Amino acid sequence: MSLYEILGTLETGFIFGIVALGAFLTFRILDFPDLTVEGSFPLGAAVAATLMVAAGWNPWIATICAGLAGFVAGFITAFLNVRFKILHILAGILVAISLYSINLKIMSGPNKPLLRVDTVFTYLDVFGISGYIINPIFLGIVILLIKLLLDAFLATGYGISMRAAGSNPAMAEANGVNVGNMKLVGVGVANALTALAGALFAQSFGAADAYMGIGVIIIGLASVIVGMSIMPSGTIFLATIACIVGAILYRLAVALALNADFIGFQASDVQLVTALLVIIALILQQSGNVRSIFRRGNKR
Amino acid sequence: MIRLKDIHVTFNKGTPLETRALRGVDLEVPEGQFLTIIGSNGAGKSTCLNVIAGLTKVESGSTEIDDKIVTGWPVHKRSRMLSRVFQDPKMGTCEDLSIIENFALAHGRTSPRGLRFAVASGMREEAAERLKVLGLGLENRLDDKVGLLSGGQRQAVSLLMAATGDTKVLLLDEHTAALDPKTAEFVLDLTKNIVSTLKLTAVMVTHSMAQALHTGERTIMFHRGRIVFDAAGEARDKLEVGDLLELFKREQGEELADDSLLLG
Repeated sequence: MSLYEILGTLETGFIFGIVALGAFLTFRILDFPDLTVEGSFPLGAAVAATLMVAAGWNPWIATICAGLAGFVAGFITAFLNVRFKILHILAGILVAISLYSINLKIMSGPNKPLLRVDTVFTYLDVFGISGYIINPIFLGIVILLIKLLLDAFLATGYGISMRAAGSNPAMAEANGVNVGNMKLVGVGVANALTALAGALFAQSFGAADAYMGIGVIIIGLASVIVGMSIMPSGTIFLATIACIVGAILYRLAVALALNADFIGFQASDVQLVTALLVIIALILQQSGNVRSIFRRGNKR
Repeated sequence: MIRLKDIHVTFNKGTPLETRALRGVDLEVPEGQFLTIIGSNGAGKSTCLNVIAGLTKVESGSTEIDDKIVTGWPVHKRSRMLSRVFQDPKMGTCEDLSIIENFALAHGRTSPRGLRFAVASGMREEAAERLKVLGLGLENRLDDKVGLLSGGQRQAVSLLMAATGDTKVLLLDEHTAALDPKTAEFVLDLTKNIVSTLKLTAVMVTHSMAQALHTGERTIMFHRGRIVFDAAGEARDKLEVGDLLELFKREQGEELADDSLLLG
């Protein structure tokens, strides 16, 4: 891999690291398997792109609006679950599916190219460094800030209530925590992060696309699982680092798999490679070593 | 102060599994009283506790805590007025949080939580001081995850957490049942200590008649969703486990089917 490719991998790795932090919040902290992200990632892209192209908004404000839209999407999923007792996975799928149509409506079509408009990356030109170098640096700073904010939030009174609500709901309630509210806010924040990542991805990629959400849930989850299985994640501080490292490693693994001609993968095989990686990571996490994949029977 | 008025609870209403768990329960626990509840399996003692805590919705009747009618209140709202210790030591503490974070969570029960750091200044010292009394060395392990502690240690921490803040009412649901005899005794002594020091109104559900008679100052017995026996003061002091069994047989006119009442 060339330096150019590595920096490109870092760039997408950081963007999907934001998705991974969201997945960490839902899957690990809240114990709420949230599939809304399949819809909220392209939602963020669609909202940001449309506001920038059709409405001529400032890209920073458009990106923040994308995050807010994501929050609403996550909030609705959690609301369906908390208020109407719809199974969390189903609630997420329902919202993600409806978002597909909504995204088409927002963009008035299946995609929205970001040609000749200022993106947040255009603003980085003032540093006079080529985009392929400054973009990953900028995104690295962004994700570091998000990570530190998330760490701090999870150490607040509200934050530990959220952690308790996910880990031991009965105990949380007995200590005065409104578990339903925690889900509403937590899933909302996770989807705000995902939509933010979607908005940044569209600006880095040059277009928003209604199909760009496919597999996002697995990417986020894979990053969390890969990161946590290879790095210490005993504290929140370490766990969020593990998520980001997992996202980068995951992108690297995909890039390598697609680059290695001898395996014969093509770009269209990305989802297959993703799924295989996650399956391997999950098996490793259960058993702790590679050989067990080939061992017969279940010895746990 | 806890007041239950004509509480009726039916589970699985309208199905073949319909069970009338509580059938007209009237109970008043004055402030500062330590009440123990006994009864066989399915008698309604735990349901009664769950009605007070808000876990179980009542069909009819009213629940009052500290002169406030709380009948329709959700669990988390009632938690501002009462604290609970569960039977399962894993239930009372959050294993993914450290000891100090668990204490911080318990602190938030009676005082509002916000976006300030949960472990406020002074909280560590306070928690360490209270843990020291246990003599388990937990004061040096404030940052350990609670999941690393043994069942007895967790139950002791649960008790200390339940006594955090300015709660007046403590509910104990067979909180020594899952512990070995020695640890159970330790936790029970700690309970008595905390209840008397903080002058709490306490309700303890137990399976052991001996424990029920020798703890607190009043004992009631549930049978088939009703309170069939209520003793306090001298009348209770004279009672032995055997008397209680005798009395129970006479009142009900039937043999006790549940051996677990005879144990302990």
